Amino acid sequence: MIEREVLTVEEIEVGGLIPTVDALRAAGWRIIQVLGISGTDHIELNYSFGLGMRHRILRLRVAPEVEVPSITPVFLGAYLYENEIRDLFGVKIERIAVDWLGKVYDPVEGGAFSKITVTATSSEGGPR
Amino acid sequence: MSSHDKAAPGPTVIPFGPQHPVLPEPLHFDLTLEDEKVVGAIPQIGYIHRGLEMLVEKRDYLDYVHVAERICGICSFMHGMGYCEAVETILGVQVPDRARWLRTFWSELERVHSHLLWLGLAADAFGFENLFHASWRARETVIDVAEETSGGRVIFGSALVGGVSRDPDDETLRRCMKAIEPVRAEILRLAQVWIGEPTVRHRLSGVGHVSKEAAYALGAVGPMLRASGVDYDARERGYEAYGEIEFKAVVETAGDCMARVLVRLGEIEQSFRILDEVVAKMPAGPVAVPIKGMPPVGESWIRLEQPRGEVLYFVRSNGTRQLERFRVRTPTFANIPAMVEAIKGVSLADVPTVILTIDPCISCTER
Repeated sequence: MIEREVLTVEEIEVGGLIPTVDALRAAGWRIIQVLGISGTDHIELNYSFGLGMRHRILRLRVAPEVEVPSITPVFLGAYLYENEIRDLFGVKIERIAVDWLGKVYDPVEGGAFSKITVTATSSEGGPR
Repeated sequence: MSSHDKAAPGPTVIPFGPQHPVLPEPLHFDLTLEDEKVVGAIPQIGYIHRGLEMLVEKRDYLDYVHVAERICGICSFMHGMGYCEAVETILGVQVPDRARWLRTFWSELERVHSHLLWLGLAADAFGFENLFHASWRARETVIDVAEETSGGRVIFGSALVGGVSRDPDDETLRRCMKAIEPVRAEILRLAQVWIGEPTVRHRLSGVGHVSKEAAYALGAVGPMLRASGVDYDARERGYEAYGEIEFKAVVETAGDCMARVLVRLGEIEQSFRILDEVVAKMPAGPVAVPIKGMPPVGESWIRLEQPRGEVLYFVRSNGTRQLERFRVRTPTFANIPAMVEAIKGVSLADVPTVILTIDPCISCTER
């Protein structure tokens, strides 16, 4: 029997990320992907999870100086996505379980996909 | 005795790739070995990053389908179709029935030729060149059919926002199905070699094991996931004509290289049955609706089942002819953590085979 997809998008805060993914893991969801989108003063992170045909997205908007906890202690398979987002968007992701140390796209300059300008950053910790 | 002689043998790091005889695309590993056994693997990509996702910000959203089709040389039609489906969702466009069924036809044709390509490469990875040549010979007929119906052998070029750009007549479709009848028989013969030949079983059975729990937790997709016992196939979402076709995901439980072969062999036969059904039920009518103007502000998420597994497309429109963001999460990208898991514990000689059994496509991965 064909199931139809159910898609939900939910906005969350940084502090709510780990408790929410903990609950998803406990309920049997799997990681699908993590997507980064650059605004001019923030990076939007979209964490996708799947359970059968259900597709749930957690959306997080972070300023460049904000540190985001890694979800790899809960979903180990997210390590490649988190490494990629850190390399391409310059997002500060803390304690990725398998850290490639900026080598996912080795020849690509760090933060290459970020559109945050120097004047838009509020601290010295912004993307290059 | 020198201090050198007293030193205990430590782990050895062996570089593997990016240029390697069995790797069709550039992928590098630092393999940590203890004796001949792999105890750790750190992959490295980044050799062919083309910035295709960012290119969407520079191209007209209707023209970008030609770029999307070139994300991968094997899953080209499905990349184009996925992009179209994502854009059509934002536009609120319903494509004509015949276009949905033709998209399903080309998707399954692509699955067959991709799996046959993979069967050949996998056979080559462990030195079985006859099997390699036989698989690719069978594939030739399938891509002849692709050319006759779509105009392209590998890059089909028939995906179009609002439908499809080619309309092979029903007689041509029936003739093409007749032309690939001998291929079906040939694949059954090849399957006997894959399943029954002791040397093949020796290289594949029990090698590169990924448990059901690990495959799920690591986010594996496609044959890599189903070979470990997880019953998930994104076609069950019912996109295009799949909601009107009877099929079940092909699932194996052993989780090793042989299980991944069996899943793909099963999927080839399943694709032929779907192709039969598609051609028999092909509705008449137009194959495209005209698309005019600019897309509205909005976003869409689409999941499809490519030969290598579930692929995800994200499109966000800002109301202009250049989209704000396009994202493809390809199956190979999702399968890399599971591939690293599969490599651990195997002997160095088995590494190429294990890597090949995820059917890696690095062009897709780097976009």
